[in-house]
Amino acid sequence: MTQLVSGLPILTLITFTPLVGAILIAFLPKERLNWIRWAALGTALVAWVFSLLLLTAFDPGQSGFQFGEVADWVPTFGIQYKLGVDGISLALVVLTTTLTWISILASFAPIKERVKEYMIAFLILEVGMTGVFLAMDMFLFYIFWELVLIPMYLIIGIWGGANRIYATIKFVLYTLVGSLLMLVAILAMAYTYQANTGTWVGAFDYQKLVEFGFDPTLQFFAFAGFFLAFAIKVPMFPFHTWLPDAHVEAPTAGSVILAGVLLKLGGYGLIRFAVPLFPQAAHDWAPLIIVLSLIGIVYGAIVALVQPDLKKLVAYSSVSHMGFVTLGIFIFTEQGLHGALLQMIAHGILTGGLFLMVGVIYERTHDRTIAKMGGLAGVLPVYAAVFGFFVLGSLGLPGLAGFVGEFVTIVGAFDFYPWVAAVAALAMMLGAAYLLFMYQRVIFGDLSDFLKGIGHHLTDMTRTEVVTLAPLIVLAIGFGVFPGLLLQLWQGPVNDFLAHVVPGALALK
Amino acid sequence: MISIDANTILALLPPAGVALLALLVVVVDIAWPGRDRLLVVVGVGGLAILIAVVVIVGPLPGIGLLAGAQEVFGGAYVADSLTVLLDLTLMAIALLTILFGPDYLRPRGLPTAEFAAMLLFAITGGMLIAGARDLLLLFLALELLVLPGYLLAGYAKRDGLSTEGAIKYFLLGSFSSAIFLFGLVLTFGYTGTTNIREVAASVSTLVGTNGLTSLPPALLMGLALLTTGAAFKIAAVPFHYWTPDAYQGSPTPVTGYLSVGPKVAAFALILRLFVDALGSVKADWTPFIVILAAVTMTLGNLVALSQDNIKRMLAYSSIAHTGYILVGLAAFGAAPVGSAAEQNGLQAVLFYSVAYSFMNLGAFAVVAALQRRPGVTSQIATFAGLGRRAPLLAALMLLFLLSLTGIPPLAGFWAKWYVIQAALQVGGWLTLLAVLTVLNAAAAAFYYLRIAVYMYMRDPAEGAPPVTLGGQTRLGLALAAIGTIAIGLIPPVTIAVIAMAQSAAQALL
Repeated sequence: MTQLVSGLPILTLITFTPLVGAILIAFLPKERLNWIRWAALGTALVAWVFSLLLLTAFDPGQSGFQFGEVADWVPTFGIQYKLGVDGISLALVVLTTTLTWISILASFAPIKERVKEYMIAFLILEVGMTGVFLAMDMFLFYIFWELVLIPMYLIIGIWGGANRIYATIKFVLYTLVGSLLMLVAILAMAYTYQANTGTWVGAFDYQKLVEFGFDPTLQFFAFAGFFLAFAIKVPMFPFHTWLPDAHVEAPTAGSVILAGVLLKLGGYGLIRFAVPLFPQAAHDWAPLIIVLSLIGIVYGAIVALVQPDLKKLVAYSSVSHMGFVTLGIFIFTEQGLHGALLQMIAHGILTGGLFLMVGVIYERTHDRTIAKMGGLAGVLPVYAAVFGFFVLGSLGLPGLAGFVGEFVTIVGAFDFYPWVAAVAALAMMLGAAYLLFMYQRVIFGDLSDFLKGIGHHLTDMTRTEVVTLAPLIVLAIGFGVFPGLLLQLWQGPVNDFLAHVVPGALALK
Repeated sequence: MISIDANTILALLPPAGVALLALLVVVVDIAWPGRDRLLVVVGVGGLAILIAVVVIVGPLPGIGLLAGAQEVFGGAYVADSLTVLLDLTLMAIALLTILFGPDYLRPRGLPTAEFAAMLLFAITGGMLIAGARDLLLLFLALELLVLPGYLLAGYAKRDGLSTEGAIKYFLLGSFSSAIFLFGLVLTFGYTGTTNIREVAASVSTLVGTNGLTSLPPALLMGLALLTTGAAFKIAAVPFHYWTPDAYQGSPTPVTGYLSVGPKVAAFALILRLFVDALGSVKADWTPFIVILAAVTMTLGNLVALSQDNIKRMLAYSSIAHTGYILVGLAAFGAAPVGSAAEQNGLQAVLFYSVAYSFMNLGAFAVVAALQRRPGVTSQIATFAGLGRRAPLLAALMLLFLLSLTGIPPLAGFWAKWYVIQAALQVGGWLTLLAVLTVLNAAAAAFYYLRIAVYMYMRDPAEGAPPVTLGGQTRLGLALAAIGTIAIGLIPPVTIAVIAMAQSAAQALL
């Protein structure tokens, strides 16, 4: 396998295959809906296969980045086209390619208007997401980062629900404010590097910058710029308010990608860039971030408890779950970081699944109000079972992926701050409360009048819907039982990360 | 007695060529009246040839017949790399405007010949400013630039708005020219010369070692008047009041030209005057430029947010862009004399001007294309559902808007990148200016994306007429789009523009 991949620019192939597909689709006649759909799915599957090839060829034992590709882009400023992969980015790239084809498949039935534009937007979105995880040049990273924004803006704004324009503009403005300040930080960093070394060569090169060691003042402000961009994306309390709006209005597949991958961009950015580049500042900011994470975990769960809308409930549960990610990162321990990473993967799988489940019921009823549902177990047994699986997974049932992430994070926190672990554990109980309460209202009891009115349209899951969910179920069980597979994959980068920070040495105690 | 040798002729060839081309257009119209297409072929073909001539004659670094800066007429006019860059930009602007014009003018019964001829005369003025190294020539060239502009603004003479806009433009324009002239007179009075290099030498002797306090009050007064006059011409806040009315009233292709042509030329004037002649007192004018930049971009963007007329919106947006360009000038002013940051600031001004020309002209061209049918208003509602009615036109508009927003990897992103980076390199207060710039860019995203919302997320109005594009408009849009994409995305082009900006900035210092 390694030989097969070693001759290829495999990272470029993974990143830009969707772009090629998007260009091809642009030339297909727009009436040929099925050609367009299958071409998009085919492209996404090709990218997925490439990413799996990479997974088999990847050597977890080797430290640093692998499969590096580098070419000069704008030598005047030392800007390069530089890609590389390590265990962390590999896991997230595979998550991205997997969720993308699932989302495209899940869009076959619901998206009936402007299918061509939709599929093009989706594939370009994939280019941006994959690129963010693979870019090793700060400038290139920023470009991919912004590339994600526009397709998502269109996906929510064109194919979204009733209040889609408000939601999509809010999404763009929040994200843009954060990312532009990050751009200032990137440039300030590059300039400092250039001023100290006398050359632009390497001024945007992540690996060189990590070794550089910036002065504390620059670190403080540059970290703030990076952190804001990532915190908005994660989203951390109090920068989370765009998320429920965006989720509620986005089409199902948009929600899946938003929760499954876009939020991970924030977590990835913190782990890859914000902390290693500015360890001192990360250290100084950590107490505040830990407190915000805890507030986010508890607040998200409490607010989710009272949501009348299924999607909004899942959206607020995301705020709560992603709080574990930022918490895990900023306690600076091995378990904490492992937990954060596991939580990212698990949240991508399980929340992606939950959004797909909400999408299934929305397709049939065109409604997501919890109060109108009830008694689905009797009429849609398969749906009830699969939904139950994802609800249990999301609330952290041991044996499924969701449990490991939260549990390991809490263990990591406990070593240093028992009270932090206690608050987080409390939130896990709240999570069980809002999810089970919701499940009970939707699935059990008598069939509601509203659903009776739907009549024979209320059919159980179709084969396509099962196909979209099956891989997620397999992954949720797989990573729940064998989290070691993932831990082994990213042990190297986790060690590198810890070498940059002082574990747990915070002024919190 | 002025000796005329081959180099003199080569140096004067670009502006002389454009002036002759303007005459040729008039002659062709007299010989074959009413042959619009022929006129366009002559105008565009002539400009294309002249662009090639400028590239061949140089002096571009590495290529070109002229080895270096070529002074003619006893140093009153100079052909250096700055002149070349500005000549190319201005001629590209004229070429695109001539392509966009006829499709708009013809249905309204407005003649093409006078339009093209006046435009070419105005551009001649701009090109003379670019090479002027004498205060008298500078002023004459400025008048040659703006006088045809007044006529063009009132070109639709039966349209009340056009006439109103033209009169406002004319009154405020003449007023500011007079202010500017008075400033020139005072400067001449104290330095005793009109040659810019000698003015520079004289001013730096006057400043001496005691700093600005040693400058005679009248010279300070002259400096203030020059700043005010120039601020009028670039439409910096608070000297911007003529802009929205002039832009809204003018025929749309003219508006497109007014938003870029005179602006680029006015920045050429600022470079020749403030950098070349008054560089030694830059500490005196820099604070004003910093404040002008901050106020101009912020106010321009804030007012643009509430505009419903697309031409007014783009007018205010062009004010905001003036502010961004001024950031580059402020970076030059605030940087220590002889530092790399100084040159970087000038490069930012030049790069921004080039990138801005393509994207802003493109955006106005789309508006003009929509208004080909007389009676189509420039209300934003005109754009409703354009994504369905004319997918390609909408996609181009989206491209220009994204570039104006500064989304990578388009030209506008590089432009913003350049000014922010220049400001950061200086540091201090300029860092705050850089942060203000990106916050403004985020605010601007709101109104640019509002147009995208109308195009893609709203349904077309009942009975909206089909959009048809003329062949010339198509060609022009294609060129503007290629410029916007190529400057951003194709490394050799990006590097070439950066290299040209670099050598132009070096020519000034």
